[in-house]
Amino acid sequence: MRPRLRLWGKKRGGRMSGWWFVGSLGEALFFASFFLVGVMCFTTLVGWQFLSPTTQVFPIGYGFWLLISVTASFIVMGAVGFWYRVLKVATSDEHREVIAKHGLVSRPNRPYVKNMLPPMVPILAPFTDSPGAKLAYRLPGEWPGTGALISIGLFAMAWNAMIAVFSVFAIGGFLKGAIQYRLLMLLIPGIYVGLRAGQLFVKSYIKEIGIGSTTVEIEDLPLVPGKSYKLLLVQYGRLVIKKLSIRLVCEEESTYHFGTDVRTEREIVRLQNILDQGRSRIDWGRPLELECLVTIPSDAMHSFQSLHNAIHWKIIVEGEANRWPSYSRSFPVVVYPHARINPSSQTS
Amino acid sequence: MIRLLGLQPTYMPQDVLEFEYRIANIQRSTISAVEVSVVWLTEGKGTEDLGVHFFQRLTGNSIAASDWSIPQRLQVPLPDSPLSYEGRLLKISWCVRVRFYLNDGTELVAQQPFYLGTVTREI
Repeated sequence: MRPRLRLWGKKRGGRMSGWWFVGSLGEALFFASFFLVGVMCFTTLVGWQFLSPTTQVFPIGYGFWLLISVTASFIVMGAVGFWYRVLKVATSDEHREVIAKHGLVSRPNRPYVKNMLPPMVPILAPFTDSPGAKLAYRLPGEWPGTGALISIGLFAMAWNAMIAVFSVFAIGGFLKGAIQYRLLMLLIPGIYVGLRAGQLFVKSYIKEIGIGSTTVEIEDLPLVPGKSYKLLLVQYGRLVIKKLSIRLVCEEESTYHFGTDVRTEREIVRLQNILDQGRSRIDWGRPLELECLVTIPSDAMHSFQSLHNAIHWKIIVEGEANRWPSYSRSFPVVVYPHARINPSSQTS
Repeated sequence: MIRLLGLQPTYMPQDVLEFEYRIANIQRSTISAVEVSVVWLTEGKGTEDLGVHFFQRLTGNSIAASDWSIPQRLQVPLPDSPLSYEGRLLKISWCVRVRFYLNDGTELVAQQPFYLGTVTREI
């Protein structure tokens, strides 16, 4: 039989195996004590300063103001934390959600307005702010390699800057006739790491640039289930493409706490082949242009975005080129629910 | 008890959800607050999200003014989204939820699920 009262419970992300009330009470008491300690220290500091400035251990200066700001932050954190925990116990989930949205003063429920944005669907503006050359909109790209490229670049830059500074010291010592052997011993592996980081960055950069950019234009946005839209893919660069495919993908995304980590899991739940292109040669000034039709399935779920969960729709371009590693580029789109077919009011 | 007044528990976006709720065997004087809400919530692998589409809290005079021996009827126009959905990592479900707070600290909760849209369920 499960014990009625469990003081120690395992916390699994947002879920707890113990008695939730004990946890909430403990948290509230912790923040209340935080608040009290803050108030006591703050009062002591300020009171002492005014009542007996001559015996004050912390005369007004940097130390005094630092202590004042630390104790004030204790008071603020304690008060906010305490009331947040109390609200969590004293109000229902729905009431808390309404307070978070509208504040403590209750407002009447807003009347239904037909031209309001569909709730929990990503806003259209970032997708429609770039007009296409042939079709209405050029889709923004999400290149998975860009983050890694920037990280490698930043690391190579910072590391080599540090090595350059140490090299100046080493050369300065050498010119003065005092060779610093310990610094040299550190510099040799440091220079090697710097060179390898630079090489890796250049390689990744050439890979990103060499294949050439990919743009995707679409006839209309937002997309609506059951409708077909013209799509134009333009692949730039100077290369021989062995295979190029365009896919429409629906992906679910969930974020959750695992212990102290925050993890995000993604899963493709729908994949539709739009176009497969065989061997073709691309040259500078003569990009590969492919036109096709993309049909959103009539039973498709719309795009969805909440705090921890999402449903994304994307156009994915995957290519294999001679002498280049295969690549994949993703272009997110927004799918609206069936009833909403009046995008003009939302794009402005 | 909550009862949806539609023929089926499936509604289309922009439809009007009509429902009634009632409480039996509880004296009016013992009720301190009543909360009625129409909410969507996510379930699944991710941390649960909750969205409140409609919320009504009755306290004090509002409770005294109502006749709790008959069902309380409400009409709520439904939004375009999010539609009910059953995926692999997440599920989006809609429900009407009623909470009764009694003077002795007891909380009675009832909820009635319904579907918005036909993405995962045919009418």
